Amino acid sequence: MFEKLKEILVNKLKVTPEQITLEATLEDIELDSLAVVELSLVLETELGVSVSDDELLEAETVGDMVKLIEQGSARV
Amino acid sequence: MAGPDIAVTGLGLVTPAGIGTAASWAGVLAGRSAAALDPALDGNPVRISCRVPDWDPDALLGARRAHRLDRFSQFTLVAAREAITDAGLDPASWDGARVGVVLGCADGGPGTVEEQHRVLVEHSAHRVSPLLLPMQLPNMLAGQTAIEFGARGPNLVVATACASGTTAVGVARDLLLLDRCDVVLTGGGEAMITPLVMAGFARMGTLSRRADDPAAASRPFDADRDGFVAGEGAGVLVLERSADARARGARVRARVAGYGASADAHHVTSPHPDGLGLEAAMRAALADAGCAPSDVGHVNAHGTATRLNDLAEARVVRRVLGDPLVTSTKGVTGHLLGAAGAVEAAFTVLGLEEQLVPPTANLEVPDPACEIKVAATATATRFDLALSSSMGFGGQNAVLALTTA
Repeated sequence: MFEKLKEILVNKLKVTPEQITLEATLEDIELDSLAVVELSLVLETELGVSVSDDELLEAETVGDMVKLIEQGSARV
Repeated sequence: MAGPDIAVTGLGLVTPAGIGTAASWAGVLAGRSAAALDPALDGNPVRISCRVPDWDPDALLGARRAHRLDRFSQFTLVAAREAITDAGLDPASWDGARVGVVLGCADGGPGTVEEQHRVLVEHSAHRVSPLLLPMQLPNMLAGQTAIEFGARGPNLVVATACASGTTAVGVARDLLLLDRCDVVLTGGGEAMITPLVMAGFARMGTLSRRADDPAAASRPFDADRDGFVAGEGAGVLVLERSADARARGARVRARVAGYGASADAHHVTSPHPDGLGLEAAMRAALADAGCAPSDVGHVNAHGTATRLNDLAEARVVRRVLGDPLVTSTKGVTGHLLGAAGAVEAAFTVLGLEEQLVPPTANLEVPDPACEIKVAATATATRFDLALSSSMGFGGQNAVLALTTA
């Protein structure tokens, strides 16, 4: 799932690939509240995973987001 | 010069004639029209446009930044960066609180609006991008410029349709005269070549329909003109009070000596047939500069190549100024709408520096009804005072009086 998330962050939100690690914070990869809404939308359209922007904003790191997305896919 | 003393210390251009001031100016001087058939307009009544060539926002701004900007802001940030560097200013060390931004555009980001409207209609409101508004709002032109360069002074976008770029420079100058700030980044940016906007222009009957020969379509003041060709891009000028510019050892490229503005109060799209509004703005700019009409050596005209605009404008130039050498750089660049006045002010500065009047591309048979002297080729001549004039839908007119440094 980390690889899938990374691919989306790079290809859809144009985050620099080198910045994306499991430990990177949302701030490190410059994900503000708008970008998180965008990410939530792309996760749904690309992966069919439903994770709200509010849930994603709770995440501190990319690793936390990966866990949320895994839980979200389990719900589907 | 009796008028107020505001210096132009930096220029930045992104135009259909090229990216960068040098490339744009060379393209304009060569008199080669940038108009071509536009694949993005397939199915539109008019498919001719003037695009910025080889536009690569990811390379120029970084993919992450470019992704969150509409095209009109992308053009403007690139032009602003060039202008700041040209002025020898450094955003890392300037007093940002004293740097203002006044930019013009006619329509914000219609490309983003149309794209997201498609998402709304074809999918649902839940799929609409959260970036829709931050990308398309017209004021983002100035807001994004402030964010990019740390300019924390007065910050606004003005909208006077196709006069917006000229109005912006005039307002920027006023802010400096009122001591609201020390430096202003001013000009305009526009990216309105979208299927919906172009359909609207085509339905108004304002666009050239010369689809069989796009390069000949934009022909200001020519007897055979049939409308304008839409262009895109941005122009940014750095303005400072001349005393401040001198004090920091900046190169003064030209001076903004006067500004005049008016409204026709006549019709939403047609200029007053005798150009009374434009005349008022022109006389106001001259009075502001403390100059006589006979001092004007060159006019960078609005010259859109619509039948009505060029005729009304020619009448005013003849009546007010007599016989200065007139040019419309729109023959090369097309009509950059809200950015036009900014780009043309920059071309006028370059003309003053080089004592060179750029050509009006595609001027083959000057319209005998336009009783003015139009430069068909680049013409070397002595002049210290030039006007750059703009007229917008809605009847808004704006004129800048620019002088040599």
